[in-house]
Formats: sequence, C-alpha cells, structure tokens
Amino acid sequence: MSEIRPPRLGVVKLASCDGCQLTLLDLEDELLAIGARFDLVEFPEASSRRSDGPYDVLLVEGSVSTPAQAEQIQQLRERSRLLVTIGACATAGGIQAMRNFGKEPAWRASVYPQPELIQSLATATPVADHVNVDIELRGCPIDRYQLLELLTALRLGRRPQLPDEAVCLECKRRGRVCVLVAGGVACLGPVTQTGCGALCPSYARGCYACFGPREAANVGSLSAWLGADRPSGAVDRLFAGFTGYAPPFRDASARAMATFQPPAATGEEPD
Amino acid sequence: MVIAPPGQEFLPRERFDALLDLLREGGRTIMGSKMRDGAVVLDEITSVDDLPGGWQDEQSPGRYRLTGDHGERLFDVVNGPMSWKQFTFPPRQAVASAQRNPDLSATFSARTPDPPRLAFLGVRACELAALRIHDRVLAGGAFVDEDYRARRDGALVVAVQCTRAASTCFCASMGTGPEVRDGHDLALTELEDGFLVSSGTADGARLLARLPTRRGTTAEEAAAAGAVAEVRAATGEAVALDGLHNRLMDQLDNPRWGQVADRCLACANCTMVCPTCFCTSSALRSDLNGTVTVAERVWDSCFTVGFAQVAGGNFRPRRSDRYRQWLTHKFATWVDQFGSYGCVGCGRCVSWCPVGIDVREELAVIAPPAVQPERGANRPAAATPGRFDIATLGALRNETADTSTLRLVPRDPALLAGLPGQFVMVDQPGFPAFPISASRYGSDHVELTVRAAGPATRALLSQPTGAQVGLRGPLGRPWPLQRAVGRDVVIVAGGIGLAPLRPLVEAILAERARYGSVLLTYGARSPADRLFVDELSAWAERGIEVAQIVDRSGPGWTGRVGVVTGLLDQRDFSARPTVAFVCGPERMMQTVATVLRDRGVAPERLFVSLERHMECGIGLCGHCQMGPFFVCRDGPVFAMSELGDLFAREGI
Repeated sequence: MSEIRPPRLGVVKLASCDGCQLTLLDLEDELLAIGARFDLVEFPEASSRRSDGPYDVLLVEGSVSTPAQAEQIQQLRERSRLLVTIGACATAGGIQAMRNFGKEPAWRASVYPQPELIQSLATATPVADHVNVDIELRGCPIDRYQLLELLTALRLGRRPQLPDEAVCLECKRRGRVCVLVAGGVACLGPVTQTGCGALCPSYARGCYACFGPREAANVGSLSAWLGADRPSGAVDRLFAGFTGYAPPFRDASARAMATFQPPAATGEEPD
Repeated sequence: MVIAPPGQEFLPRERFDALLDLLREGGRTIMGSKMRDGAVVLDEITSVDDLPGGWQDEQSPGRYRLTGDHGERLFDVVNGPMSWKQFTFPPRQAVASAQRNPDLSATFSARTPDPPRLAFLGVRACELAALRIHDRVLAGGAFVDEDYRARRDGALVVAVQCTRAASTCFCASMGTGPEVRDGHDLALTELEDGFLVSSGTADGARLLARLPTRRGTTAEEAAAAGAVAEVRAATGEAVALDGLHNRLMDQLDNPRWGQVADRCLACANCTMVCPTCFCTSSALRSDLNGTVTVAERVWDSCFTVGFAQVAGGNFRPRRSDRYRQWLTHKFATWVDQFGSYGCVGCGRCVSWCPVGIDVREELAVIAPPAVQPERGANRPAAATPGRFDIATLGALRNETADTSTLRLVPRDPALLAGLPGQFVMVDQPGFPAFPISASRYGSDHVELTVRAAGPATRALLSQPTGAQVGLRGPLGRPWPLQRAVGRDVVIVAGGIGLAPLRPLVEAILAERARYGSVLLTYGARSPADRLFVDELSAWAERGIEVAQIVDRSGPGWTGRVGVVTGLLDQRDFSARPTVAFVCGPERMMQTVATVLRDRGVAPERLFVSLERHMECGIGLCGHCQMGPFFVCRDGPVFAMSELGDLFAREGI
C-alpha cells in the first residue's frame, strides 16, 4: 500500500467528561500502529502539539452546551473532511441534556454557587443537531473495539462495521442468559444499539441504553411489558439517562423529568 | 408410540458416572445442561454434579424460572436458551482469511475445519429434529458448510426422552417429539432410580455394551413409555399443521402482522434461541495495516435492519415485514425450500421473547385452521350414542332454591379424568339425556351442579342417594388452562355459569404460583341465587380476587348491585397479556366479551363456554352444529377469535 501521506487525525471535545477520548489512549497495544498510520495533529488530552486543521478525520466528543461551542462546531465542521461524533454526549446530548426538559435555570442554580457567572445554552444538544455528521460511535463511553474498527476501516477505505441492532443479539452470541426473561430485571437491551459487547447483562445487570436507541426501537411495547409489574413512572425513569434526549426515548424521559426537581443549591464549592 | 427396542438396558442412578467416563474416552469433552444465572445453559460437564439434579424449569411466554428441591432427577429441566447449534454452528466462527501482498497479489485461504471432539449429553427429540433440519439446510444441498459438517460428524449424541414438558413446548404438534426415534447414538429415559438406555447406532451399541447395566424390566419399560406418553398429552396440539403452508401464505396482507409488530421489539431473540435459524452475516476483522483480513461467520437475524439492506434502501424496513418474513419462513416457505417446517416446537421463541409473543397464538389468529384441533385431551367413557356408564348418586347439597350439587360415583374411572370445562351426558331411564358441565372432578366422584329447569333435571334432583344414573363423558374441549400459565387471568361468571368455572378455579388454586393475578367476577340475580357461597370467600383467602354483584339486592346484602360488567368498568387488562374465561347466559357473555375486548383482552385469549341443544354429546347427532363447529365436539369452550361473527348472532 503506497502512502502519499497519512491522514490528519484530530480529537476534540465540547461538553463532556473526556472518557471517550481516553478510550483512544486505552488502545495500548495498537497505539503505535495508529500513530504510524495517522498523523495525530490535534489531541489536547494527549499531546501539546496543536492544529486548527484542516483534518481528514475529526473525532468530536461532547454535546453543544454553550454559545461558544455552538460557534466552534460550525468551524470544526468546515475544517473536517470526515466528522465523527464519539460518545453519548456527542450523539445524543448526554446526561447534561436532562436540562432540556424545561428546568434549566433550576439545574444551573442547583449545580453552581454563582449561576450568573455561567454562560450556557438552555439546552445541551447532540452535534448532529448543529452540523452534518458522517459517522457516529455510540456509548458512554465508546467501545474500544468499535473505535479500532472505525480507524481500521477508514485506513482501508471500507465502510466501518458498526451494526445497528439490538444488544440482545450479542448477549445470545456470547451465551448470556437473558436477565429480563430469567431474572425479571428491567433491561433496555432490546431497544438499544449494540456495540458494548453486552457488557451490563454479562454482569446480571439490565442494559441502561448508554448506546442509545437502535433502529426500529419499540419503546412503547417494552415499556408496557416492564410497566406491568413495576410502580407507575419507574419505567420512564429507566429511559431518562445518558441517551434520554434521543428522540425514541425523549417522551419517556420527559414524563420522568416532569416529576423530578433539581436538588436545592448547597452554596458550597464542589470538591 | 414409543419405540422401545427389545432389550432396553437399565443403568442404576448411582452408576451414571460410568456413562460420563465412557463418553470422555478418546479425549471427548461432554457438553450438557448446567445451571448458570438462573437458567440452564449448555456447557462442559465434568461430573454428574454439574447437571441440574433436582431442578425443574417453569416456562411461559416471556418468562423462565428454575425451581429446586424436586428430588434427584438429572434431566427434569426441559430446555434453556441455548440449543446444540451453539456447538454445531457456533455464533462466531472464522471461515477464511484474505491477504494483500506487497506486490499487489492477493491470497485467499479458507479455514480448514478443526472441530473439538464433543459428546452432546441430553439431546431432546425436538433437538434431534433440529439437527436433522440443519443437516438438510447446511449440508444436504449442492453446497456444503464444511465446518458444520465436520462438527456434526465428530459429535456423539446422547438423547434423553422427555418426561416433563414446559407450557411452551409444542413438539407433538410439529411431529418432532416427545419420543426420541432416531438420530441418536444412545438414548436415555430417566426413571426414579436409574435410566433405561438404548442405542441408535453401532457406535452407541458399542458404548452400551460396556456400561454397567442389567436388562430393563417390562415394568420399567412401561413406566418409561408412560412418562413420555404423558408429555405427549400435555403438549397437546397447539399448532394445526393441516394445510398450514397455504393458509399462511394466503394471509400476507392480514392486519394482524401490523398488530403483532406493535408488540414485537425486532430484537431477534427468537431467532437467536431458535435451534434451526441459520442466517448469518460475514464480519471482517482487519489489522490496521490492512494486509490481513479475517472473515467470520456470525449469527445474524432477519429482524435486524442490516439483514435486508442494500445500497438504495431496505427491503424489510418495518417490524411487521420482518415478523412476517420470520413466521412465513418457519411455517411455510421453509417447506418449499427444505421439505419440512423450520420449527420443531421447542418453545424457546415463546419463552425468550422479552414481551411474551407466542408463535402458537399468532399462527392461530393469522392462519386459523378450518376446525380447531384441540379436543378433549382424554378418552371418554361410553363414547357411543347408545352407551352410558353407571354412576351412583351420593349426597346432594342445595345451592339455591332451584339448584343443587350432586355427587356421583362412576364405575368407570375414565369419568374422573375430566378437565375443567368438560361436560357429561346424563341419562335416566325414561328421560332424554342432557348435558351438564361438571362442577368438580374429584378423586373418586364427579360433581354436577344442576338447576331444576325441566322434567329430566327435576327427576334427577329428586332421586334418592344410592340411585343409579347413566353417564357418558368427560366430553368436549376443556378450558385451555395451559394458555394462562404465567399470565393474568380474569374469570367472569353469570348465575349458574359459575359451575363449569369452579373446577378451573380449583385447578388454578392447586398451582397458584403458575399464574399472575387472578380476578373472579360473579354476577347473580340476587344474593340468594349465588352458588358456592362459602367457597367464594375461601377462594378470596387463597390468592384470588373475588368480586360479586347482584341484579337485585336482598336481606343482608351490602355488596354491589348491577350487572356483572359493572365489576369490570375500572379495570384495564392492556398492560400484559390477560386470559379471560367467561361462562353465563349468551347475552351476558356477549356484553362481557365486548367490555373485555375494550379493556385490552385479545379475542384469541378470551374464552367462552357455549350452550346448545345436545343429544349425543359426541358430534354424531347434528343438533348442536354452529357454523363449522359441533359445539359438543369442538367446544363447548371456544376462543372469541374462533367464533367471530357467529357468536351471539340470532338464529345461528
């Protein structure tokens, strides 16, 4: 394979916890090969080398939460050939999108001792609400094998294999016993996009949809089934998580958030 | 029809380890049932302690539980989510690699099959059928999956006869079980103190000759055959195969596809647990340099979006498209392609559907058979028009001013084997015979609750203790109680209609934990017209919600006044599948059926018991014909979905 020049790769963040970027650094065995195959021009979490672009591939973490970020994402899009969003914040809004359900001032007052100093938008929204996104890597955090597959496929020029199917298939392929059927555990796997390797059900936990809704997600049917032997509102709350702002989950999240009050501010600085 | 080859051998329970030792010879690994995370999975068995001794499975649509302390038996868990395709057709299997060389030449290499040497321990009849189907699909045509062929050829198969059935089992319908017929090297039938063992191949015979067995006795063989026959009776005829292919393919536009898609999650669990589903996709694993790419064959499903995707779009975008594809393949087009159904009746797709969709129910609604096949599960006594068996009248208990419960001791024990909802024909010298639903099937007697409505019933009620009458029965189709396992139940009785429902209530109470919430609503003309008054309050104390209402109040009545549907007004049954059993005057049943349907009970889960003029009770005299049915033979219990427009229509 003759190389002209390795593609220029950038990794940036908006409103997020940095955990998804960290997944790239967690690819310890492959890091050298990635470094050899990509020109890592921008990755502030890992390197002091900086670049404003242009980028052949830009990985964007985080949701658009401030006026500055709303402007920044437009510029990043202009400077990127391929824009890839990574993680629940960038693809669905993240946990901070809980403020989108109508109580933004109360949340701000709850979190910050001097809320008037904070410049944030009333909503925290996925990147795709602002600019065109070429590829999404889901999850909170993203899956290292999906990230590796993405980089490999980009290098080869083929389409990355990121199946949009229920978590259930991977559970069954791995021989896991269904926690919902055999344990009565509330599990969102049937409506959640795969990619995590069926992590939570492998530890007898229900999936909490950190990869967000899959194609054809039948939230109504699963909710009705789970709701039959659970207290009213309990099922709605399951959806109001990291990807609760994603459209198929949004109605359930809105119902759950309608009854939820942000805690009162303590007036203390966080640790 | 158990095929019991002459000379079945008996292996004592305490020597079962000798079988494991033999199976392990030559470095074989034994795969069998093992408990993990609340289910039985298929995994390596290193000693008899790995097997789920004393455990049983409780399965219903969308629900699976294991219960313990059932003694020592090793094979009482019918099945779990895994089938043997886990080993013959693994979920993820590397099949080839491709390499791009520096000089731009390419190398493609297929992987040479190198299967582990396995012994499958505890393969059920339905599983043997599934393996035969895969043999045809994957290795019986012009092109052969070599990995499958090698794995199949290398495996030793030890079958086990089913002596228990789950409520989700329907192998008898599909013609695949429960009897193990062929396809095994060895077959076991578990008895209390050991196993009957027979061989099906020369390899099996060689193993059998080396086991520490003695000849099985006739009694042991009879016990084994009897146990399997009971499973056959229990699994019933849930799917009517007659003409199913065309009945299903004629229904490609049935609105039910859309309705089931409202419930279907398209999560693919049914296809993953199915022992015959064989659809796969190719997954590529490349190294970062792109020099070597390994192709893996990975289980896929017709329920995923990627499965029917092409560059321009998707051939099956809707969940209803995908469900229809799956069901019609299993029960129709599979026959065209491979000469058999793609379903073996193992019931896994029913149990492991996260929202409890029951393929038997969908088939019955989408492609209903011309006449329902589910008849009385037992053989009646005196089942000819001219014959009756003798029963002796015992004590009589007055229920209301005109209704009493009679105790009858029949001579023929077949009369005691009735199921809730079945009826008997009662004959007295000089009177015409009449049908009465039994209000109890006891261990040595039958109870009939009879209202003095005419000369024959009046005559019966005035007979002294010790008098003999003629009985024919039990007759007709019982309440399909099996359908209610794991589900909520609502029972609606009007007046004397409580009598045929009483054995149903008693059967539910006998195994109360098998059902969800149970509601009994009872309407009578007045407080004094209520049957079984003491029992109603006793039932309420044993986990059944009992609600009563009367048309007219009476002395001491503080309960509700009105019609029986008044007890259903505040109810909602739409959250989970609820099964309804309704008996009373036809007008009342019609009103109740409408209300229940509005409250979310599907017509195929709403059962009524019909009354018609019957003379013979066995479908020969023609009196009780109603549309395509004889009520005595095909009923008296019907699902509303079977009756359709016939129900409560005047003059039919």
